[in-house]
Amino acid sequence: MQKINRRNLLISSVAAYTVTGLNLAQAHTTPAEYTINIRKFKFEPDHIDVHIGDTITWVNQDLVAHTATAEAGDWDTEMLEKSQSKSLQVTKGMTGEYFCVFHPHMKGTINIK
Amino acid sequence: MKIKTTLLAAGFIASMVGVAHANDPAKLNDLEIAHVAYIADNIDIRYAHLALAISSNPAIHDFAKTMIRDHTAVNEQALALLAKLDAQPQDNFLSQSLQENAEKLITEMSALRGAAFDKFYAENELAYHKAVNDLVGNTFIPNIENAEVKSLFEAGLEIFQAHEHHAEMMVGEVN
Ligand SMILES: [Cu+2]
Repeated sequence: MQKINRRNLLISSVAAYTVTGLNLAQAHTTPAEYTINIRKFKFEPDHIDVHIGDTITWVNQDLVAHTATAEAGDWDTEMLEKSQSKSLQVTKGMTGEYFCVFHPHMKGTINIK
Repeated sequence: MKIKTTLLAAGFIASMVGVAHANDPAKLNDLEIAHVAYIADNIDIRYAHLALAISSNPAIHDFAKTMIRDHTAVNEQALALLAKLDAQPQDNFLSQSLQENAEKLITEMSALRGAAFDKFYAENELAYHKAVNDLVGNTFIPNIENAEVKSLFEAGLEIFQAHEHHAEMMVGEVN
């Protein structure tokens, strides 16, 4: 019963989202938006708990360019210059560690709830 | 190699400290300090271009590209600020001694190949960023008068400290 309710909510609130192959147990009813600031060579926050379908926006507040790039190589904001930002919708493969390819000691993690 | 690099770093710092009686870095004005920073940025960009030309190590290439990208970004900010303040950077003894030192090192590095070059470049990057960060953090920032120039140097120091950290990692990789 609860599963059906969640499913209905999901379909009505995120109609554009493709349900095919989506693990309903991991899906969240209302997609949330998160901002990660890149400031002073740090991802702030450096750890984030999200649900599939949420959106994460990385904002570069430094003078120099950075990236947020998956350690496993399956997602990448690509180069973010000063004041640039990039939003990515959370997909199943995004869980785990990421880093800045230009400054490899800059690290962050994404945990999918 | 370790001993040589330590001597190199010590020599670099001593060459700056040694002239302190006649020429004191703490007595430079903001426009002279801006000139030193601009020269220091350009020196690291030259080292990086040399590394791209000589090294075949991907980690060295990535690091060198980051040095070019970041130091160019800092220089652009510095030039924009000077233009806004309608000021010209002023050449001085410290800019000249940095430049002379760099010429010698570039000649020396140009003769190296393979792992010998990579080691020298990585260790020099670590020593160079350490020396510059010491100068910027302990001498320049406390003496800069203009608030906007000071805040640009504070941002610059954070960037160069990140480079120092990155250079440490790279030294570990090539050793
Ligand atoms: Cu970075």
